[in-house]
Amino acid sequence: MVFKLSGIVKRFGGLVALDHVDFHVADSEVMALVGDNGAGKSTLIKTMSGAHFPDEGEITMLGKVMHFRSPQDAWQNGIATIYQELALAGKMTVVDNIFLGREIKRPRLGIPFLDLPAMRKRTEELLKQLDVHVPSIDSWVESMSGGQRQGVAIARALNMDARMIIMDEPTAALAVAEVRKVLDFVIRLREQGKSVVLISHNIQDVFEVSDRISVMRHGRCIAVRETRRTTPQEIIGLITGAHEVRAAS
Amino acid sequence: MSIAADTRPTLRLSSPTATRELYLFIAILIVGAGFSFASPYFLTPINLIQTLRAALELAIVSAGMTLVIIMGGIDVSVGGILAVTAIVIGKSYQAGLSSFIVAPIGLTTGTLLGMWNGFLTTKLKVPPIIATLGSMYIFSAIMFIVIGGAWISGLPGTLSPLVNGTVLIIPASALVILVVYTACWVLLRKVPYGRHVYAIGCNETSAKLVGINVGRTKIATYALLGFLAGFAALLYVARLRNVEINIGTTVALEAIAATILGGTSIRGGVGSLLGTLLGVIFIRIIQNGLVLIGVSSLWETVIIGSLLIVVLTADALRNRNSPRV
Repeated sequence: MVFKLSGIVKRFGGLVALDHVDFHVADSEVMALVGDNGAGKSTLIKTMSGAHFPDEGEITMLGKVMHFRSPQDAWQNGIATIYQELALAGKMTVVDNIFLGREIKRPRLGIPFLDLPAMRKRTEELLKQLDVHVPSIDSWVESMSGGQRQGVAIARALNMDARMIIMDEPTAALAVAEVRKVLDFVIRLREQGKSVVLISHNIQDVFEVSDRISVMRHGRCIAVRETRRTTPQEIIGLITGAHEVRAAS
Repeated sequence: MSIAADTRPTLRLSSPTATRELYLFIAILIVGAGFSFASPYFLTPINLIQTLRAALELAIVSAGMTLVIIMGGIDVSVGGILAVTAIVIGKSYQAGLSSFIVAPIGLTTGTLLGMWNGFLTTKLKVPPIIATLGSMYIFSAIMFIVIGGAWISGLPGTLSPLVNGTVLIIPASALVILVVYTACWVLLRKVPYGRHVYAIGCNETSAKLVGINVGRTKIATYALLGFLAGFAALLYVARLRNVEINIGTTVALEAIAATILGGTSIRGGVGSLLGTLLGVIFIRIIQNGLVLIGVSSLWETVIIGSLLIVVLTADALRNRNSPRV
């Protein structure tokens, strides 16, 4: 088990945003996280990615208990979160963005000069690995499409040696052809042994790429299903609480 | 995939700063041609070298200002840094110290005052314009308390060859500018530090997320500007051999104007040193030319002020449709 949350509780004043949530992701697994607005998905991924500190419960990674103090801390421990707003520097090139904060250097006379050829070469390798196509690795990220930017953000996560990649609504606000591309990125990440947590409102996307699905409702993780053994109807029922209505009657 | 080739055009005219640099260069040529036509003294070696010397301190300070503005910051107190450092230099000379000791003292003073600004903006989280405005008041107060309205005069000109000298036929001031701009260019474009400066200006959250030490980078950049202001103060003292009461009063605004005219975005993330240098040359040529043709120097400020408004408006119009990422 690469990553495990157990008994996570997060309160905001009187509001219990996460109520004893258990969640785990294995290597080479795509775990989808679904739930209605306000179900606690965002709070949960913020807890995983170091933005929130849980009030109770334990986060373990490869059997080791983790206490992330900040998103940077989580990044450095191999958990990369790719947010909707992507956190790329728009007016910098693809190469610059991918190597930001971990530039390849070739010191001469004690000055840590940037090794641009090496960084360009590695960038090409990473983009090829993910099958990301950009107009040029020297153009500004700002000038690219949403899907291309997702690709660059994922390539950066790969370059940071991330073990687990959390993707928050990666397909929202993308053109149809781009959605396909981003789902392909997810599949490629799984092929490379990475764990992926995919948050999505789009049930179709979730069924297309995920191995398992966790459903959140009212701050609790109410069900985990294997994607192969469930149906969109069942998942939607769980999300909306239709099963509760059925159980009551 | 054909991304293997270096697809960058050599001049990078696709980038907005390159376009601005080109326009500015053309503007300098046009203005220069106009002044040569209006005054026989403009296009003479003596006048051009004098203009270059007058541009020296502004050019040095503007290089540091460019880095600070690219980083999304600003420093309006740089004139105060220059003034306080010049006073420290003057007092040290008066105490009988040699230039070998005074120069490091001056550079250290400037660096420390720059670090103070960096500390205010990063650790105390004061917005840079407010923090440095506060510093400006403090620095000018220090200046008045120390010299009390009188000049410090009769200082030695040991370092004046850096301003007035010539190497072969090249004026030393041109070489000093070249060295400062090359060093800053290496910092900005050739080592990781510069990438971090751009990244902080583009998207500070992102910079933090990937593990860049944002606080340290910011303090270092303000300190670099302070160091350059200290260097400018050394050259100021060497050139004038006294410290006047109005020292540094215009340099901050001129440096910001030169940087913005040169294509650096006031919102950070975009900018170039070459543009800034052209901006400095442009400002100084206008000042020099107007004096030569007998126009009041007040008009020079009106011209530069209007140009800034035009440039910033044009930028705003061009960026209106592109979202801030």
